[in-house]
Amino acid sequence: MMRHTKRHVKDQSLLGIVSLVSLFGILILILIFGYVFKNGAALVSWDLLTNDYYAEVYNSYYDGSLNDTEYVRPNNLSNDAYFSSRWGVAFTDDIDQEGHAVIRIVYVDPDSPLTRLLDKNTEGQTVVITAEQLLDKVIFTGNVILYSMDGAEKAAIKFDAATGIRDMLTSTEGKGIRGSIITTFLLIIMTLFIAIPFGVFTAVYLHEFAPKKSKLVFTFRRLIEMLSGMPSIIFGLLGAAVFIPFTTVFTSADGGNLISGALTLSVIVLPTIISSTEEALTVVPDEFRLASLALGANKTQTTFKVVLRGAIPGILTGTLLAIGRIIGESAALIYAVGTAIKDEIILTERSTSLAVHIWSIMSGEVPNFELASAISLIILAVVLILSLIVKIIARKYAIDPSMRG
Amino acid sequence: MPIPYVFDIENLNLFYGDKMALKNINLQIRKNEVTAFIGPSGCGKSTLLRCLNRMNDLIDGCRTEGKIRYAGNNIDDRDFDVIDLRTIVGMVFQKANPFPMSIYDNVAYGPRCQGVKDKHILEGIVKKALTEAALYDEVKDRLRESATSLSGGQQQRLCIARAIAMSPQVILMDEPTSALDPIATAKIEELIKELKKEYTIIIVTHNMQQAARISDRTAFFLLGELVEFAETETLFSHPKNPKTEDYITGRFG
Amino acid sequence: MMQINKGRKHRTRSEMKQLIDRLTYAGLFIPALISASIVLFIVFFIAKQGVSPFLPSQYGALSVDIVSFFTGMIWFQTPNVYGIFFIVINTVYIVILASLIAIPIAVVSALFIVKIAPKQIGLVLSTAVELLSAVPSIVFGVFGLGVITGWITDIATFFGTQTAGGISTAATVLVLAMMIFPTICIMSITAIKSVDINLEKNSLALGASRMQTYFKITLSAAKSGIFAGIILGIGRAFGEATAVSMVAGNAGSGPTFDLFSTTRTLTSTMLLGLKETVGLDYDIRFSVGIVLIGIIILTNLILNYAKKQVGRYA
Repeated sequence: MMRHTKRHVKDQSLLGIVSLVSLFGILILILIFGYVFKNGAALVSWDLLTNDYYAEVYNSYYDGSLNDTEYVRPNNLSNDAYFSSRWGVAFTDDIDQEGHAVIRIVYVDPDSPLTRLLDKNTEGQTVVITAEQLLDKVIFTGNVILYSMDGAEKAAIKFDAATGIRDMLTSTEGKGIRGSIITTFLLIIMTLFIAIPFGVFTAVYLHEFAPKKSKLVFTFRRLIEMLSGMPSIIFGLLGAAVFIPFTTVFTSADGGNLISGALTLSVIVLPTIISSTEEALTVVPDEFRLASLALGANKTQTTFKVVLRGAIPGILTGTLLAIGRIIGESAALIYAVGTAIKDEIILTERSTSLAVHIWSIMSGEVPNFELASAISLIILAVVLILSLIVKIIARKYAIDPSMRG
Repeated sequence: MPIPYVFDIENLNLFYGDKMALKNINLQIRKNEVTAFIGPSGCGKSTLLRCLNRMNDLIDGCRTEGKIRYAGNNIDDRDFDVIDLRTIVGMVFQKANPFPMSIYDNVAYGPRCQGVKDKHILEGIVKKALTEAALYDEVKDRLRESATSLSGGQQQRLCIARAIAMSPQVILMDEPTSALDPIATAKIEELIKELKKEYTIIIVTHNMQQAARISDRTAFFLLGELVEFAETETLFSHPKNPKTEDYITGRFG
Repeated sequence: MMQINKGRKHRTRSEMKQLIDRLTYAGLFIPALISASIVLFIVFFIAKQGVSPFLPSQYGALSVDIVSFFTGMIWFQTPNVYGIFFIVINTVYIVILASLIAIPIAVVSALFIVKIAPKQIGLVLSTAVELLSAVPSIVFGVFGLGVITGWITDIATFFGTQTAGGISTAATVLVLAMMIFPTICIMSITAIKSVDINLEKNSLALGASRMQTYFKITLSAAKSGIFAGIILGIGRAFGEATAVSMVAGNAGSGPTFDLFSTTRTLTSTMLLGLKETVGLDYDIRFSVGIVLIGIIILTNLILNYAKKQVGRYA
């Protein structure tokens, strides 16, 4: 009885098809990461994280005469900085987020005339040139013009040769995500502050204190289960319909704000916290409870001093999962907070989290793929690290991380 | 005229990794007989049984030396079609494991896998198999119901029917009644006595009395070695090997 | 001598402890009650705001006729014409297509990971799938706009049709399929892992090949778990808003069955154009939300009924 080649071939080809199809999953992951990385990695820099989103442009001129002060080049200035001793300012060459060559101001002497410029557009307003601003264009007296593409060295030379400034354009770099990062942080902290006590207490009630067979508890559980099956945009509607009006009544807010956002997010992550905590409570052996009660402690002491302590890894898991969810959430926040990108973050005003920031720049007239990819990269990195930490904790404490609620 | 051996096992050694589980087994199984493998736990009787339909292939790190011949052909040849072998050598396991399907589909499963599609043919096969397994009368009105609704004994007979549906030559049984109550056990033992008219049966059992009741020939294994192999009556009444006698008289189990 | 309790001051320690327990019970009951009632709040408030466009008392002459809302095929901001029927058809159409792609791939992948792949490869693949399920929808949206739309445009050119920069039904279907694939796959992996290995042994002993065993027995035994994963995935597909909104388009009428045309789903209707809306156009999104919840509940009921039928022989 030798091998039936026909059946064998059929079997093997089916095996081949199955194997090929299964690579789909990892292929998609690689594609997504690859695209996001390729497009956005160049942009990820400390500047990106700390800059304002909105660029400020200053249009100034110098009204006055130059005395013969010779400004001293400071010692800590790096070698690729070009210093103008006449004006007390230093420049370097740099590249902006779009890859264009720019002149960056890296030092301004506290006495420099550049700290006493006048605003060309607003009467009487002073303009102070500071380090980190970009030098876009200068028209000196005598009609000598300096462009940003001239480079830092030429800039220093031209400044040294100039006796006055008729028109100077400087700007701060924009497209930074500092505002959105801060917003995301604030949302996470506020949401956890609300959701963790709520969720843990609910879970403790359901698991430890509630009568076991009561219909009420069963109903509670079903209602909370239904909560976890709802799409997040529905929670956004809730936020818009309930939390925004609520916060406008009790605070100075006049529309979407971070507090209504945090409340909405709390509702979203509540099921996760509840189920993670309940999971953890189940894992705590009953012997602990019995031993504590036998020592004369009441249920409250038992629960809070003994059982809850053992449930901490599970609660931690739920918290990390919740953080991941908050960072990734977009639709609900679009409704419950808004899509206005801000540099100055105020709790009672609108702002964008990182995810909503992406939505905002992608839904404009010209979507900025590079910036969106860069932010996506940051979000993915954080979410992935969180997932890995959750897996490590789960393995160490033998929790099932797929109980996400 | 050579006696028709169904299985001819010659100098068989089996290793799980480095551990030797079967040592130098030499054994011949005859057609239309019930051969019993007995011995204490871990003696290798189930392992040997699994060699006969190459189910040991599924275990990582298991390899054999020596020859096992079925009807003259070397079955442990790499090129030998294992699937064909299993259509000829059927197996019933210790715990009845009906598939989560209807009774009908359970029995029809094997033939369907071999490409039988005709409804009439399948119906005939199912009816014949269930009848031979002494189950047909009990289930004929509920063939489309789930197989898991049957009792333990019925499920095991279903598994036997499932194996019979393949029209095998040999049926291997690995402790088929150890999970059943005495009544169900008795039914199956009776069934085996009927089945041997058409099939060759090899049964592994840790119940010596069962072996004594139903088998024609018995092989006694100890620590991976074949200690004694003889006609059942002879083995139980006048065992040649003192170890056999010790086992039979219950000096060790 | 028996101690006589004189008033409340002489509570024994044990009575104090019991009192604390009762207070704790009450204290914990309240968050639990609130947590459980949130669902009810959601339904109530969304219904309240979502019903208002139909009330002449709210919007007077501009109020939307409820019948034409449910049966209409046009969705424009002006002249206040809102018909949701074609949007429902579009959404169901897209979800079905996405499921047809995602389900086989997810189940087959799960089978491969658990049963066929060597342990290390299986671990790598299942980790990849888990990571994929953690990717937020906005990132899928960026990927969809950046890459998938490009593919669709290329395919369209190959077939000689035009697309609106790749924004299309096809792009939406593909993005959704990618998003629900990990959900279905992960639950299928769990289901397949828990199949009794003896069932497979029995099948092999009957002369079935490995592939026959996996497809006829293993998958069959894992049916209910796989189905649960499918239900979860389809639920997610209906509710997905951000990524879908970025690649679906803004079709004003429909329904759209052409894969290369722009389309409109329930969630994209709710999300797109949110910045500039006020009044009726804002409230009508809540009405769409009600319809969305209704469709999800309905689908869940139907699928759960189907699940019971499928699991009849378990």
